[in-house]
Amino acid sequence: MTGLNSTVRTEGPALQDLSSTLRRSDHALLHSALLRWRALRRVSAGLVLSWLVIATVILWAIFPAWFTSYSGTVGVARQQLRAPSAEHWLGTDALGRDLLARLIYGAGNSLSGALVAVAVGLVVGTALGLVAGSARGKVDSVIMRGVDVLLSIPQLLLSLSIVILLGFGTVNAAIAVGITSIASFARLARSEVVRVRASDYVEAAFGSGGTFSRVLLRHVLPNSLTSVVGLAALQFGAAILAISTLGFLGYGAPPPTPEWGLLIAEGRNYIARAWWLTTAPGVVLILVVLAANRISLSFGKIRL
Amino acid sequence: MSKYMIGRIGQAAVVLWAAFTVSFVLLQALPGDAILIKFLNPELGLGPEQIADIRASYAADSPILTQYLHAVANFLSGNFGYSVQAGVPVSDVLIANLPPTVWLATLGFLLAVIVAVTLSVVSVLGPFSWLRSAMRSVPSLFVSTPVFWLGILLIQIFSFQLKLIPVINPGPWQALVLPVLTLAIPISAPLAQILMRNIDDVLTEPFIAVARAKGASRSWVLWKHVAKNAVLPTLTIAGILFGELLAGAVVTEAVFGLNGIGGVTQRAVGNQDIAVLQALVVFSAAAFVVINLVVDLLYPVFDPRLRHKGGALA
Amino acid sequence: MSLKGSLKNKAGLAALVGVSLLASGWTKSVAAEQSPAPATGGTLVYLEQQAHTNLYPPAGGFYPNGGILNQITDKLTYQNPQTLEIEPWIAESWTVNADATEYTFKIRPGVTFSDGTPLDAAAVAKNYDTFGRGNKELKLPISEVINNYDRSEIIDALTVKFYFKRPSPGFLQGTSVIGSGLVSPATLALPYEALGDATKIIGSGPFVVASETLGRELTLTARKDYKWGPARLAHQGRAYLDTIKLIVTPEDSVRIGALLAGQADFIRQIQAYDEKQVEDEGYRIYAPSTRGVNNSVVFRPDNTLVSDVRVRRALLHATNTDEIVSTLFSHNYPKATSIIAKTALGYKDLSSNLIYNLDKARTLLDEAGWKTGSNGLRQKDGQSLELTAYESLPQPQNKETLQLVAQQWAKVGVKLNVLTGDSGTATINNLDPSKAPVSPAMVGRADPDVIKSQYYPTNRNVLLQKGGNSDKVKSFVDEKLNGLLENLASEPNQAKRLSIAGDIQTYVIDQAYAIPIFEEPQAFASAPYVNGIAFEAVGRPSFYSVWIAPRS
Repeated sequence: MTGLNSTVRTEGPALQDLSSTLRRSDHALLHSALLRWRALRRVSAGLVLSWLVIATVILWAIFPAWFTSYSGTVGVARQQLRAPSAEHWLGTDALGRDLLARLIYGAGNSLSGALVAVAVGLVVGTALGLVAGSARGKVDSVIMRGVDVLLSIPQLLLSLSIVILLGFGTVNAAIAVGITSIASFARLARSEVVRVRASDYVEAAFGSGGTFSRVLLRHVLPNSLTSVVGLAALQFGAAILAISTLGFLGYGAPPPTPEWGLLIAEGRNYIARAWWLTTAPGVVLILVVLAANRISLSFGKIRL
Repeated sequence: MSKYMIGRIGQAAVVLWAAFTVSFVLLQALPGDAILIKFLNPELGLGPEQIADIRASYAADSPILTQYLHAVANFLSGNFGYSVQAGVPVSDVLIANLPPTVWLATLGFLLAVIVAVTLSVVSVLGPFSWLRSAMRSVPSLFVSTPVFWLGILLIQIFSFQLKLIPVINPGPWQALVLPVLTLAIPISAPLAQILMRNIDDVLTEPFIAVARAKGASRSWVLWKHVAKNAVLPTLTIAGILFGELLAGAVVTEAVFGLNGIGGVTQRAVGNQDIAVLQALVVFSAAAFVVINLVVDLLYPVFDPRLRHKGGALA
Repeated sequence: MSLKGSLKNKAGLAALVGVSLLASGWTKSVAAEQSPAPATGGTLVYLEQQAHTNLYPPAGGFYPNGGILNQITDKLTYQNPQTLEIEPWIAESWTVNADATEYTFKIRPGVTFSDGTPLDAAAVAKNYDTFGRGNKELKLPISEVINNYDRSEIIDALTVKFYFKRPSPGFLQGTSVIGSGLVSPATLALPYEALGDATKIIGSGPFVVASETLGRELTLTARKDYKWGPARLAHQGRAYLDTIKLIVTPEDSVRIGALLAGQADFIRQIQAYDEKQVEDEGYRIYAPSTRGVNNSVVFRPDNTLVSDVRVRRALLHATNTDEIVSTLFSHNYPKATSIIAKTALGYKDLSSNLIYNLDKARTLLDEAGWKTGSNGLRQKDGQSLELTAYESLPQPQNKETLQLVAQQWAKVGVKLNVLTGDSGTATINNLDPSKAPVSPAMVGRADPDVIKSQYYPTNRNVLLQKGGNSDKVKSFVDEKLNGLLENLASEPNQAKRLSIAGDIQTYVIDQAYAIPIFEEPQAFASAPYVNGIAFEAVGRPSFYSVWIAPRS
């Protein structure tokens, strides 16, 4: 962080970049100092648990049939809205579908949706940030004002419009969410590049006659990447949440797709009659997002 | 400084114009259009010629560039156009719906600050270590909760089960309690995380050890330094949280059936009421730009180091 | 033809439906409330699921619109919800000529709109000229309940006569529906888009719009000088309630929770799965039938996938309506036995043609050349039998219904994609047969004309025929169906008219244009202390005689 502050102090316009970096990447960055303070004493039990949660849902996504014998999309008529029991651990929904099965099959949709969202933001945003931070001057200014424009349009409005434009579906919703996170990645990547560039060894690399692109690839990119990856892990959780919000507002994947956000959103109508329909997926979602956040913090730790 | 300011204001204007243009292109690209959506509704039984007449009366089929120049000229003269769906000028829609949302967002932000400060102070000064570490993980829990789900649960628990606060026909203050809480909780999380980091940073500074050695109590040191240091990140985050407040308001207003800009946004998107959406984009982009401008200009005021030092600390 | 004469005609028909009406639960509960004397005063908190769109009276078919218009406007005639007879209201009496091309109404004296304008022959003429012919300049469309309208004539201050170009036998009933609510000439001088503002709608009804927060909340107050209730009701004076607070509450869970927690008194659209809980806690459920076209799935034969009648018939036999009703709904949602409800005028029982039979469905698909392919889907000429339908938000549990239909069709190798869309895209795509070969559909009105409203190309055009509201249709027109529908709307002899209605039902089912699923009620729930609630013939609430008993 001190590195970041130093750039800020050297020139005025970059002030804004500090502030925005803080805003968007604070999750990734903010605990670095905390962790420094607490030191790297032990591998936290929380981190192990987090990886366990993530591993479980990844297995759900890849081999759903290992975990349930029920279908994720086809229900048994007249078996609707059953309470949790030995037969259906989390009960059934209005169409007689096993809720646990829908959660397990939904992992694939939710995780791949979040992955796509993060990939869009990560690839486009980081590329923009790298170019801006490396090129400086006019290019930097144009790119970063473009990023400002992206930030200034309300994210929800932007993603809703993009969903309407692209059509409804898991991937399209993911792209819409991903586009809104481009700005955060771009700002973080740029500030990291600026930080790394200012460091002595990169100066030295330039000094010893390294070409621009070579220095960028050999020194700047690898050194900037950790915090970007940390932000990616964090955005992973945020993307699942954002996709579920789209589902709540009626812009989710078409039925009968089991997708966590949609399960929460659709289950809420039954809260008076079948509370488990919205509660169970809600708890799963919170656990996964918590785990993703925890893991993103551990990237901050590695950087120290 | 003044040259810097002029530059910043100029940049702000460019951002505003670009946001307008980008959103204009995006909105024009949407597949339906508000007039067809409203008047093709089979409930109305309008024939194709009647619809063509209506389209002509809205000048909906003139070339895009003409429409764009028209829109720019109208916005510059303060005319935001006409909401096809609501059947009233866009400015009427905004005037009616802006105040409740501004209220909700302001109170939500204030409560978020209070929650964040409480969490971070307890996380350092709290009596038990389990309590302190619990406070540390609360922000992560807060950011992991879907806002709409939180709202629905709060209603179920506080309004329908405990019957503490009605959601239907509440008094003016009661009406705000649950929505403000719903909005504040997810927003308090990043604030709390920043504050906690600040406290940690301050505690590692050498001057703390000096102060402590001189006999100052830990909490006094914290209050003195943290309070000063907390202003900047709070200001910083206020700029970006504007967007999140708006997104939060959309969801909160939908859950609680409140009146406001969030509901307007949702309906305008659903009906592709482009004039309204365009105005919303311009408004929020303007607010974004202004808040960030103010934050940038305030930075040196709150951090004297930025005024005097030239970047020696690396 | 005398007044009595014209009524007798309808009374006979009404007897047909009276029996089934008495059997339905809601009439019973209405009757049970008549004992104690009504108390005047108080506020009713009414939670509505959706905001109103436009309050031009002919737009009253949309339930949220109708729910408001029914409180603030009066109609020329009153359709008795029990017997479906047409009775006097603002019109004291009327005569109809033999071929139903001329109607003369005598207006009740002393009626005024809430802006003080008298409700006289001139005002009525102005209303019907607008509803019958539309107004291009003001973008006011023609009412779907008025067919073949020509002009009006003011005979004297309180007598008005309407002329029709062709027989219009459904017109008398048409004067009783919400779409024919009478409004002040000042309201009719406004353009269509200005009528979204409820405060601009000046009626003569028992309630007046006092204030509105667009899209969220509406306050109606009782008109103190009201004294012209429908002639049949003992209640003639002002409404018992002082105020109605209509609050738009889209969240199902909030509406039901608020009612049970005592925060609301009356709610619309309670879902079948919540009924039990509501009744267990001593609250009341009202599920008046909408007496119109049943909740159905219709085909758009312009799309080649469903242009073959054998394919449509196969899907009709592959649909298990019993399973849908018993999984998703309750006894308030009877299984459909024709394209219109049992309680609708002209109903014909076609249950023997609507049998669930998978073998028959498979045979029909085989005959039509759709063979099961490697992916389990029916295929022909390299094309899969994969259909698409958009969810209809206002219909109860429509997304779930369509998903269940999709599950059932999958058993015969047909895929149905259920799409949810933003309302804009859904509206546009649903008018394109290539994008929505299948569509959910329903409409309510207690007259056989309702069938025409639903199927005729220039009305709702659910089958998407050429010449209607969609420019995406390439060629599909069914002249036979349209001919029948035109006859239905202009046959003056009621017996013949009902027989035409029967022919249409048989024809639509025979062509398998529609798969009727259930008879759609409007489901409401009220707190136990709310008394005197009434519903007009197709299930919109009337709060005129509602009173609130002291809460115990």
